[in-house]
Amino acid sequence: MSLLQEWQNFLPDFLPGLWVTVKLTVSSLCVGLPLGVLLATGTTARGRAVRWVALTLVELGRGAPGLIVLYLVYYGLPQVGLTLENFLAATVALGISTGAYTSEIIRAGLNAVPRGQREAARALGLSPFKELRLVVLPQALRIVIPPLVGFAIVLYQGTSLAFAISTPELLSRAYNAASISFQYTAALTLAGVMYAVLSLTAVALLGIRNPLKRGSP
Amino acid sequence: MTTLDVPLLRLQDICVSYKGNRVVHDVSLDVAGGEVVALIGPSGAGKSSLLRSINFLETPESGTVLLSGNEVGAGQRRGRTQVSKTALAAHRRDVGMVFQSFNLFPHLSAVENVALAQVHSLGRSREEAKKRAYQELEHVGLRDHAEVSPAKCSGGQQQRIAIARALAMDPKLMLFDEPTSALDPELGLEVLGTMRRLAHEGMTMIVVTHEMHFAQDVADRIVFMADGRIVEQGPAKELMRNPQHERTIRFLKAVRDR
Repeated sequence: MSLLQEWQNFLPDFLPGLWVTVKLTVSSLCVGLPLGVLLATGTTARGRAVRWVALTLVELGRGAPGLIVLYLVYYGLPQVGLTLENFLAATVALGISTGAYTSEIIRAGLNAVPRGQREAARALGLSPFKELRLVVLPQALRIVIPPLVGFAIVLYQGTSLAFAISTPELLSRAYNAASISFQYTAALTLAGVMYAVLSLTAVALLGIRNPLKRGSP
Repeated sequence: MTTLDVPLLRLQDICVSYKGNRVVHDVSLDVAGGEVVALIGPSGAGKSSLLRSINFLETPESGTVLLSGNEVGAGQRRGRTQVSKTALAAHRRDVGMVFQSFNLFPHLSAVENVALAQVHSLGRSREEAKKRAYQELEHVGLRDHAEVSPAKCSGGQQQRIAIARALAMDPKLMLFDEPTSALDPELGLEVLGTMRRLAHEGMTMIVVTHEMHFAQDVADRIVFMADGRIVEQGPAKELMRNPQHERTIRFLKAVRDR
């Protein structure tokens, strides 16, 4: 059997897996990005206690390997009476990691907003919350969109970790198919190609980086 | 003392420090309603710090700020003057500020810049705020730039939008922190023209500036600061013509010899 034929056999099973991967990426971002904004505003807050709590959470989230967080959520939480099915557990775990990592990106964005912007908001009598919501965040989010897209791609690849708690995403389907047919190379390269095609398409559509154009962001 | 005798702004023994380094020493200053005061002096004299302490962008280490006879915040804690958030916001609504670097919000159009705080700080309706924003842009001669992003405007236009933004809050007092220092002479002139008109309309203004012609022509009073203290003050023309203090003479001579 040629490689293409094998791929053809795998594809009907792999495509739903890719769909799970995409869903997992999106749902992790939905959990992680608000968490990232929250942690970022926490680490830049004026109150020292708030800053330390936020910073500790960020360092814990970034310090712990994604797989450990995943296992803790999936196998650890049931011990305290909270059982999550595998997709939800993967969402929570990847969401936590996403929150920790993106908070640092967002924090850099917050710090990149010139000090004068905050001063102007304050001088107009805006409350600290409105200063953040109406003046600082809209500018910071614009700055951080390219690095956040970059992170989203890393996360998309990282969802393959959910394989470890048998979420039926792309990698676990590839692995299953491979262990049944013993065609490891064919199955895993197809999965790899599918990961790559989708992320490259996304990058191209978003126009983040065109290697043919010099000086593009 | 009748209300007529109460100065619009009274600063009493204001001290400002940065990291233990005192940059304003016990400065007291009264400004009457409708008065235009120019704050001049060499760099590092504490002019901007004093100006910024009026609306608490710099929290004074000690001293009191009274607006229309009412003290802004009271008492001290942790060695700094403490003001409640609501009292501070209310005070800042009464005091307009124009910055050297304009500080317009780049993600908003000109009219949105002028309307934002009217809605979110004064609580005006969006329609009311927008209508007022158009009026103020008209006031500074930029009605036709209302929908334009600040980045597409010249420096002089940006500063006039910033002035409109401050005026739309109906301030009792306007602070200008070197409003023309970031502009070339020509663009500076259009901003000075707007400020001159504002002064004629009776706005109370405190202007930190290096524009000596403007200070002499438009200000009622010039306050000369050096080393964190007021060295000399007096009616604008008199002080320019006949400075008394040796430090003032030296500064004005340096300005003229340029």
